[in-house]
Amino acid sequence: MWHKKMGLSCLAAGLVTVLSCSRPASQPDVSRMPAGQGFSGFLSSYANLKPNPEFENTVSYVSQDPVKNVHKYVAVIIDSPVVYLATDADQKALPDRGRTALAEYFQNAITEAVEDAFPVVQASGPLVLRLRSAIIGVDVGPAIAADQKDGKSLDRAITIGKVGVEVEFVDSETGQQIAAAVDRQNLGENVMVGSVSFSRDEQFRAATQAFDGWAKRLRDFLDSAHQLSKDDVARAEATNFPYASEPDPK
Amino acid sequence: MTTRLLPALVLLLPAGLRAGEISVFRAYVDSDVCARLMLGPITPSRIECSQSTVKDGSEPVVVHLRNNLVLTVNKQKMIRPLAGQLVEVSGEIKASNGTAKLQSVNPVTAESVPPGDPARKLLDVHTFRVEKSAQLHEKIRHELAMMPYISEFDFISFTQSGPNVILTGWTVRATNRSTAYNIVKSIEGVETVINNIDVLPLGSFDMQIRAAARAALQRQLSRYFWGTGSDIKIVVKNGQIILLGSVATKTDSDVAFIQCNSVSGAFKVFNMLRVQSSGKKGA
Repeated sequence: MWHKKMGLSCLAAGLVTVLSCSRPASQPDVSRMPAGQGFSGFLSSYANLKPNPEFENTVSYVSQDPVKNVHKYVAVIIDSPVVYLATDADQKALPDRGRTALAEYFQNAITEAVEDAFPVVQASGPLVLRLRSAIIGVDVGPAIAADQKDGKSLDRAITIGKVGVEVEFVDSETGQQIAAAVDRQNLGENVMVGSVSFSRDEQFRAATQAFDGWAKRLRDFLDSAHQLSKDDVARAEATNFPYASEPDPK
Repeated sequence: MTTRLLPALVLLLPAGLRAGEISVFRAYVDSDVCARLMLGPITPSRIECSQSTVKDGSEPVVVHLRNNLVLTVNKQKMIRPLAGQLVEVSGEIKASNGTAKLQSVNPVTAESVPPGDPARKLLDVHTFRVEKSAQLHEKIRHELAMMPYISEFDFISFTQSGPNVILTGWTVRATNRSTAYNIVKSIEGVETVINNIDVLPLGSFDMQIRAAARAALQRQLSRYFWGTGSDIKIVVKNGQIILLGSVATKTDSDVAFIQCNSVSGAFKVFNMLRVQSSGKKGA
């Protein structure tokens, strides 16, 4: 009997330990910008990134491999964005549900931005890209005053004033990088998020506009990567003749 | 951004063909392959195409005689034995995605369509007139060729009769269907657009066939492929491959057919490649 009780107690203690150590499945990964570095380390490779003259404050890469390039894919899987805290941000002060809200909002924004170019699918496979993204440089803002709080308010605001995004399209089967960009365009200057629904006063609009702006720039980057060269335009046009049975001239 | 245009789902259909209502109309039972390629009058060669491709496994569809609208149906068994024939159909049409829920299908003769009925248009090559304005035709062709998200797995074609355009083909991106419609509808001189572009499923089975077919063709016929596209279009639908586009020689067409027949999982290959008469293709 005593042994049985001991066994149950150990099992319960074990469960408590496991549960207290694990994070909810929906929680986004927590990572931090490395000190003194311009990049987070999130992308599979930074080696080929070069300043993109079409996009201010952006370095990018587009594969020109005739077999593995953006034109050779027809669908995309969109991974949940990863949030990278600013190097000196106080991780404990940053509310988890705020990070989740940022990641979810950005995921919805990029899904909306790319889905008409690349239909979104759930499984990897041939002709399917994987879109990986990270929001980098997120910082902790001031505490939200008790008299300004509602059910969706965070304890501390999240500052996105120095945030940028890193994105890459990789082959969903091999992981090979097909296109990548690091966008440091500052769209969130003086903007804070104080609620999981982004609904803190006038900053709501500014925060959503910032994330929508990065998503739009991602789509513009995708469109530019997908642009046909002059030779390809000529060839596409020269070969695109309609099939249609003509009436018998007799 | 043209790809962001809202899908315009309004097709110019005769009154009484609105979604949700039961319509009775005359139609031609065709195959999916022939209906989206052989636009225009119902000639003996089209009937032969319809019957042979349905027999070979292509999905049977009905083509509305009044306006050439291609409708995929819920009960294929009802129309499969009638391939190549005229029928009177009773059912519910959903023009926005080109589908029909059939209630009844009965064979009819061409003589039962009264003279002057718009449905006669497709029945006689002498009364069917493709009034082509060369300039408008070229404009439509150019605009469709320049669509940004067209791959080797999409084929979009059209026919033009005066200000009336019928779009046809297959695409893996649903937005290409609405984008093509919006682009053509906005061209000056175009009045009506019937959208027969079919949106292909993106299931993993078909995706594997697409990738394998492209790889096989690229190995043997690389000169037809370039960085962002190819002269050969590979349409894959429910395990069937339809080869479209043009090649320089009959030998190349045969090679493409053989290569696609060797693709694991492909049930059937329809070789619709055109052979160029000049024979000056590629390097």
